[in-house]
Amino acid sequence: MSDTGDALSGQTAHAPEPFQFTGTGAEYFGIWIVNLLLTILTVGIYSAWAKVRRMQYFCRHTEVAGSGFDFHGNPLRILVGRIIAVILLFAYQVSVRLHSPLTLVVIALLAVVLPWLLRSALRFRLHNLSWRGTRFRFAGSLGGAYRVFLLNFFLAGITLYLLAPFTHQRLKAYQHGNSWFGQTPFTFHARAGQFYLRYLLIVAAIAGAVALVIVSGIGAEFIALSRAGKSGAPQDPRVAFRVIGMLYAVIILLSVSIGPVFRALMTNLIWNNTRLGEHRIECALSPWMLIWLTLSNMVAVIVSLGLLTPWAHVRWMKYEMSCIRLLPASDLGEFQAAAPEDVGAVGEEVASVFDFDIAL
Amino acid sequence: MVAASYFDGRSTRVRDVRLSVDGPVLRISGEDVELSVAIADVRIDEQLGRAPRRLRLPEGAYCEVRDVDHLATLLEAMGHRDGWVDRLQRKGLAVTIAVVACVAIAAVGYLWGLPLGAAALAERLPAGVGTTIGTQVLRVLDGGVLQPTGLPESRRNELSRRFSELRKAAPEIREARILFRRSPALHANAFALPDGTVVLLDDLVASMNDDRLILAVLAHELGHVSRRHTLRLILQSSAVGAFLTFYVGDVSQLLAAAPAAALQARYSRELETEADDYGAALLARNGLSPALLADALERLVQTTHEQAHPAVEGYVASHPPTDERMKHLRALAKTLGSL
Repeated sequence: MSDTGDALSGQTAHAPEPFQFTGTGAEYFGIWIVNLLLTILTVGIYSAWAKVRRMQYFCRHTEVAGSGFDFHGNPLRILVGRIIAVILLFAYQVSVRLHSPLTLVVIALLAVVLPWLLRSALRFRLHNLSWRGTRFRFAGSLGGAYRVFLLNFFLAGITLYLLAPFTHQRLKAYQHGNSWFGQTPFTFHARAGQFYLRYLLIVAAIAGAVALVIVSGIGAEFIALSRAGKSGAPQDPRVAFRVIGMLYAVIILLSVSIGPVFRALMTNLIWNNTRLGEHRIECALSPWMLIWLTLSNMVAVIVSLGLLTPWAHVRWMKYEMSCIRLLPASDLGEFQAAAPEDVGAVGEEVASVFDFDIAL
Repeated sequence: MVAASYFDGRSTRVRDVRLSVDGPVLRISGEDVELSVAIADVRIDEQLGRAPRRLRLPEGAYCEVRDVDHLATLLEAMGHRDGWVDRLQRKGLAVTIAVVACVAIAAVGYLWGLPLGAAALAERLPAGVGTTIGTQVLRVLDGGVLQPTGLPESRRNELSRRFSELRKAAPEIREARILFRRSPALHANAFALPDGTVVLLDDLVASMNDDRLILAVLAHELGHVSRRHTLRLILQSSAVGAFLTFYVGDVSQLLAAAPAAALQARYSRELETEADDYGAALLARNGLSPALLADALERLVQTTHEQAHPAVEGYVASHPPTDERMKHLRALAKTLGSL
């Protein structure tokens, strides 16, 4: 290779590489509906194969630096994982409602199994994700999983969630700090204080909304009282209905907007503080845009009785990906895959792993 | 010749190559690469939309082709045929049929499958389930819309006595009891819980000028008990709730909807007619005219119109089209009366 060639590739390697999603709603619709029908006809069994197709569709249409990602999950393993997840969920639901001594046993068992299961899920997800033929992997220790999923979540619980932002930070540090792309490690740099700041912001926003409801609720109650006084009737249920209706409207609006705002703030924080080797990642999701997407997607999906679901998914992916950029510090062609013997050992372990989708 | 990118599976380096078929062998040639792979060893990925398609070679290497249309000729030369699901996903007709089939299955499932399934399940569930749900629902209602009755004890005893007399003619109902409550929100109303409890509200008692009319309403409610209508409705709404939470994603509210469902339940016309027929027969067995139930309905319609709050229609709202039901009941009274 000539000197000029090296200089050129060196220069282009340093330019930011935007992520982009190249799928379209119409294209994905065909895949989605055919797999949905097959899933219904097979009483859910085909859903594992449908999931692999969905993941492949989304991974392959997600590109950075001219190359797409790929998903390598084995449908049979996903099926086994799903069956186990359903059994666990059922055991939990039943035991919680039975209020017997068995409830505690089941919950204790779940607490012991869950961290291991979640770690397995993280491993499964990353091991089956690749870019340019090189696999990602997750190397978090089992001890770490118990510390994060059991100890930290327990601490968050008993401190009335005062430690929740800290737990969130520990979780992300465990997840992102133990991820690898081939032989290149990811590192995580966000501090707990930064998590606290964003949580506080959201709590303040919710508190503001609640204060608004209380003020307007008092107004509504006042009207009800004055009416009851005039007519002599003890209570007009219509006013009660109106107050309840208003409350519902506020709750729906809040629940529709809190999620997207939280997601925008957290995703930006987390990815802006995650590095792959020396390469940085830049993420700039707009909370307003996510609220708009959530609301409009919700309306579209409800009005179309679910038929616009694929379109909504694609639209969301397109936006999120358009907000992420990779800032390479060197040539992106230099990543090395993990040594083959590593992959073998890992591959065997993956055989015992369950797919257990967690959106953390 | 098809342009492709070659990845060796060991690094992220991209190599531009050209693919060609030479008998049983796929040739890959380009910068630093000169490979011949037996076509039998090449795995071809599905074509998902317009995503670059991959030809997987042994040991983790693969070729990626962006021009998927151009690739089709090469694949043909390789003797490759796409899988049937892969082809269906791209065929307009297949996709249209899948849409129609999914919508049809959903509609049939909701309109017929759900009620039938709930009815079948309600028949098979042990009595304990009905008792548990009934107790839970009553506890929730007692903490909310229901208040202690204002009826004097003698009046309650009298109505209870007549209720157990009425119920004697219905031996297939294993458990049944009557409870008295008052509810400003529900007004003149009566409803059945899955454990066989019939809740009678003060306003309904007050609006009837003849105790036989109250008995007629109770007979109708025993019809709901006998056919396990409330349990069926709770099962249905739980199934819908479970499906929605699965789709939307919150499992914890699964059974939380049961008390609300029991209250807001608007029985379908079919279930109402079933309970009417049962009530009419039960009245006849007690030597009372089925027309009493029609009279009771008429009376309730009148009270509803007289009430100050049209927003709350009480019994009439939860027990739809009354005109037809009254006509049906009076016709029934004639046939049963002539026996």
